[in-house]
Amino acid sequence: MPVWLREHSWRQTLTAVYLSLPLRGARATPANIFCSEQYLKVSIPPFLFEAILYAPVDDTNSTAKIGNGNIFFTLYKKEPAMWDSLTLANAGKKKLQHLRENAVLKAQEKAKEETEAKKITKQEHKRYALEATMKLEEAERKRIEDLKEKERQKVAKELEFWKNQRKDADKYKSIPKKRESHQEIEPLKERKNEKTNKTRIPNEGTSKIRLKSTKGRHGSCSIFSQNLKEEQLPPPRAVATIKVNFTPRVFPTALRESRVAEEEEWLHKQAEARRRINSDLSELEDLKEEEKNPDWLKDKGNKMFATGNYLGAVNAYNLAVRLNDKLPLLYLNRAACHLKLRNLHKAIEDSSKALELLTPPVPDNENARVKAHVRRGTAFCQLELYTEGLQDYEAALKIDPKNKNIEKDAEKIRHLIQGTMQSS
Amino acid sequence: SAAAGPERPQVVSHVQQTLSYTVFDCKWVPRSARLLCLGSAARGTGLIQLYELHGARLELLREIEKPKPIKCGTFGATSLQQRYLATGDFDGNLNIWNLEAPEIPVYSVKGHKEIINSIDGVGGLGIGEGAPEIVTGSRDGTVKVWDPRQNDTPVANMEPVQGESKRDCWTVAFGNAYNQEERVVCAGYDNGDIKLFDLKTMSLRWETNIKNGVCSVEFDRKDINMNKLVATSLEGKFHVFDMRTQHPTKGFASVSEKAQKSTIWQVRHLPQNRDIFMTSGGSGSLHLWKYEYPAQRSKKDSEGSEMGVAGSVSLLQNVTLSTQPISSLDWSPDKKGLCVCGAFDQTVRVLIVTKLNKI
Repeated sequence: MPVWLREHSWRQTLTAVYLSLPLRGARATPANIFCSEQYLKVSIPPFLFEAILYAPVDDTNSTAKIGNGNIFFTLYKKEPAMWDSLTLANAGKKKLQHLRENAVLKAQEKAKEETEAKKITKQEHKRYALEATMKLEEAERKRIEDLKEKERQKVAKELEFWKNQRKDADKYKSIPKKRESHQEIEPLKERKNEKTNKTRIPNEGTSKIRLKSTKGRHGSCSIFSQNLKEEQLPPPRAVATIKVNFTPRVFPTALRESRVAEEEEWLHKQAEARRRINSDLSELEDLKEEEKNPDWLKDKGNKMFATGNYLGAVNAYNLAVRLNDKLPLLYLNRAACHLKLRNLHKAIEDSSKALELLTPPVPDNENARVKAHVRRGTAFCQLELYTEGLQDYEAALKIDPKNKNIEKDAEKIRHLIQGTMQSS
Repeated sequence: SAAAGPERPQVVSHVQQTLSYTVFDCKWVPRSARLLCLGSAARGTGLIQLYELHGARLELLREIEKPKPIKCGTFGATSLQQRYLATGDFDGNLNIWNLEAPEIPVYSVKGHKEIINSIDGVGGLGIGEGAPEIVTGSRDGTVKVWDPRQNDTPVANMEPVQGESKRDCWTVAFGNAYNQEERVVCAGYDNGDIKLFDLKTMSLRWETNIKNGVCSVEFDRKDINMNKLVATSLEGKFHVFDMRTQHPTKGFASVSEKAQKSTIWQVRHLPQNRDIFMTSGGSGSLHLWKYEYPAQRSKKDSEGSEMGVAGSVSLLQNVTLSTQPISSLDWSPDKKGLCVCGAFDQTVRVLIVTKLNKI
């Protein structure tokens, strides 16, 4: 049950009501005060003060002053009239409630309106600000445009002026020769001076003089100066040729054509491969120094191949591979040996391994790749796997389209395939 | 950035003219407000168009059609009275035309087996001394120097050694023509080679390789003791060589700059100030540069030989005019700051660069 505050005192004028409400020690804040047109409430739990006003007041302009343990209300009457009492005397409970509810509703509505109004003003302000900035930017842009336009016009005028000057220069051509012969000496002198001083090309001032005397076919002075010059011209040069060399490159393509990244990779791989030596050398300790060098072994193998000692060549390559299994040429050459020895599966294996090691495909390892494809193709054909063989031959042709032998062999295989297909 | 900063030179686009053909080269006619456009018409013939600048537009004065598309042209070897145009075409022919009577060329020779990519002339227009000569560089790998007084054979021929695979020559330029005897030709090739040929001694004076194909070379002045050489290349790089001091092994000192990602098609020095030059790019942009000399242009190396010191290059302004490469560029020798450029969007533009006096 709230404690009613009843010790209020009031006085009035025609237009306003002054109400003083002592608070009995309670502290009041604006939130505790609720006022609508005809209903006033102060609620500071547990204290409560409530009044149904005699007549409506203007609640928006009325004020409440909190201080000194007291709230001092200044309520402005909606209609200037003297009130009989502060509150409505015979206010029934229902009326009270009704009024209360109305008051609350009205207050709510007002609050809503206020927020709406605030929102609208905020938007207005934003829009205004935006427009203002846009105007500023527009002004700046215009200023720059104007500057540019002025430049343009100035420059166009200067151009016209220069052009007209030249037209005038033409007019002056018809002035009597006396004046011209005078001027003829000057430009020649001037030209000489220019050359000896090696200064910059003269500015427009002096160029005008040159214009007058050197332009056009009218006026004897210009022909005169030309004749002088012709006499000074040296004869045509003695014919000679200078031979040039162009910058060599590891790969014969200019930077724009090269696939530098791939070529670098290939070079790197080759360098790596050469450096590698397989570590498992325990059984190889009794070999001579040169026999531990894969390149030397490769050469040995090549020589043996050339003399027809295919088994020996295979042995040499085998040893080389054990020392360094990253050199594609070893596999390539061993494949050739196996072909000769009719170890066709081994030939295929070795050619495949060689092709694997010959990546990335660059112009530098073209020859090796062609050979690998041809050898593998041959092996396939000898195993009567003609389609696989043809695939390899066509791969070889793609790399080296101008090779007639490969073309011929490819043709033969095609015929063979067609023949077997027809007969089956 | 192309800001309207008060003191920076501005590149103002004065006139734009759309053409109905591909323009490969554009040149001002000396001592006039007229310019030439050279190119290839859609039906595979060559075109020369002569325009005159009238206020804010270009007026077509004359159109000349020739059987083969024309790649390049120069007024460099002609006198100011005659103003004959020398052109190189797609078939390797060098012709010199009198534009008043263009039906028959004044000089004609089938100089090369393939397209003439670049042409330069020296000894004419009252600039420099010595005989007027024309140099042409071709895709057939040779560089030839011609004298209009001698028919059929070039007076100098720079060709690959027997058996050497050829590289396309993309650009040529004359230089060092400060007296009657001295003259050099600089040639740039598609593999990045730059070669300097001395015509007085008929020998190769210097060569180097800048890795990327050389699109354009130019000396800052043809008619002085060679001072600076700018070479532009693919992938947006250009090099400025200081040509005053040649070291016996290291050659010429240089500074290089990467301007943009795309090819730099042309470099042209301002006729009125040899330290300012403009480069044109594959992205349709123009860059205006200024070269600054170092405090000392040469110094001694550890063995006591003189070697050059390169300076520095600073960007004055840049502007993008087109979406297609700007393949040709020419400054007017008569009006400072006036230039014309031709782009592969079939447009030729007349530009004015302002405030060059304040540099």
